[in-house]
Amino acid sequence: MAELCGIVGIGQTKLAAKRVDVSMPGLVREAADRALTDAGLDWRDIDAVVVGKAPDTFEGCMLPELYLADALGAPGKPLLRVHTAGSVGGSTAIVAASLIQAGIHDRVLTVAYEKQSESNAMWGLSISAPFGVAVVAGAGGFFAPLVRGYMRRSGAPDDVGIRVAVKDRLNALRNPYAHLHLADINYQMVEQSPMLWDPIRLLEACPSSDGACAMVLAREKLAKDAPTRPAWVHATAMRSEPTMFAGRDAINPEAGKQAARDLYAKAGITDPRREIDCAEIYVPFSWFEPMWMENLGFAPEGSGWRMTVEGATALDGDLPVNMSGGVLSSNPIGASGMLRFAEAAMQVRGQAGEHQIAGARRALGHAYGGGSQYFSMWIVGSEKP
Amino acid sequence: MGETETGGETLRARHVLEYPFRRSLGPILERFFTGLTEQRFVGSRLDDGRVVVPPAEFDPVTAAALGADRLTEVGPGGVVTTWTWVGAPGPKHPLDRPFAWALIRLDGADAPFLHAVDVAQESAMRTGLRVKPRWAAAPVGSIRDVACFEAEA
Repeated sequence: MAELCGIVGIGQTKLAAKRVDVSMPGLVREAADRALTDAGLDWRDIDAVVVGKAPDTFEGCMLPELYLADALGAPGKPLLRVHTAGSVGGSTAIVAASLIQAGIHDRVLTVAYEKQSESNAMWGLSISAPFGVAVVAGAGGFFAPLVRGYMRRSGAPDDVGIRVAVKDRLNALRNPYAHLHLADINYQMVEQSPMLWDPIRLLEACPSSDGACAMVLAREKLAKDAPTRPAWVHATAMRSEPTMFAGRDAINPEAGKQAARDLYAKAGITDPRREIDCAEIYVPFSWFEPMWMENLGFAPEGSGWRMTVEGATALDGDLPVNMSGGVLSSNPIGASGMLRFAEAAMQVRGQAGEHQIAGARRALGHAYGGGSQYFSMWIVGSEKP
Repeated sequence: MGETETGGETLRARHVLEYPFRRSLGPILERFFTGLTEQRFVGSRLDDGRVVVPPAEFDPVTAAALGADRLTEVGPGGVVTTWTWVGAPGPKHPLDRPFAWALIRLDGADAPFLHAVDVAQESAMRTGLRVKPRWAAAPVGSIRDVACFEAEA
């Protein structure tokens, strides 16, 4: 790496079921304006823009980065679009960070968004082309058998998913940007919610949200003078694998394990559970918390669910997970990965308000997408690496 | 969904892909399309003083957000800045007889926009021609609320 990368500005929109008050450019602009304000910068200070979003088929907007160029102050500047399905918000931030780390640009604006209310996310990823395998199940139908497989393999109690769903919605009550604010959320309410894709109940699934997230990244010399102390990028990692291949373990995917190993090696971490203060990970269905705890190496295989049951992943646990309320409380798909990365950065900057983990010095941001096949993650810290 | 066809050396299948989508216009373009229902053209003034129609939400040079205070009415008359003749209209064209596609700079605007011009024959078209809108009978908030332009009397 030629340069250190600091996160100097973070912004997000209010996440909601329908943002009919703004156009798509207006939505991304709202997040970008807030990131620039947080960074104390103007549009003139930005050297390049990196946009992330889920497939074009979601909103039916081809080359959305060109459509959004004026709203993102990009005319005359390098403008790049990243696409890695649901993990795109994370990989977009990683691409933006790499432009700083490589010494190519001084300051980069990175933005990710989704307007689910105007899109067709249910089938946008599941095009059943002739002679191909048609899943025809949507995300919940695809992931339910993986959850069932995890339950059988691990011997976890049946209600671990309910506990995760309650915890994340309680956390969301502390986050003014979260989509779902279920003031009376409790165990019975989740347990009694309709079974959508056995074993996933309605309240164990994420909502559909409109929203955007933006960050301003800067090289070391500029970052250290930022009005709010920066979060420093300690390590990034991305891995992908095909949806289906003989011998694939879709419950504990190899791509995720390899990405986590690579990430910790780059960050000099040997015991992630002890050395990471909090983690914001991509959990669109409640059972993915224990599944990813294992995939990320926080718990031995088969025992991730114990962390949930013992309260380790609660705000007052030894590894708080999804302090913001997570994807279970807000899911603007293209932005969801960046929201995870941004929450990790907010934690180590001390900006997380009512969901701040006191003294958080090192945090993990994680995203996955497709059929548990695209992974992106970063570790950010309050101190330089 | 594909249906398998045979008869060639390889199998082939039709594949039709369709999704419903929605769009929200936001506070600026909403004014343009609402204006069309009232037989008015709404443009906006950029930071450098130029007026564009349809109005811009964000300045393409300075990136500033352009608020409702920048909206300004233009037209309804304008001038043809360039054009091309459609001698044999297809079924999806706005007119069922030969017509011109033209870039039309509305009075008060600095940049032209594209629409159809209905004139009797190609020889009646020229750059610099003064035109006015012919409004559709039942406006819905679409660019088609302007049925076409026609030569000013």
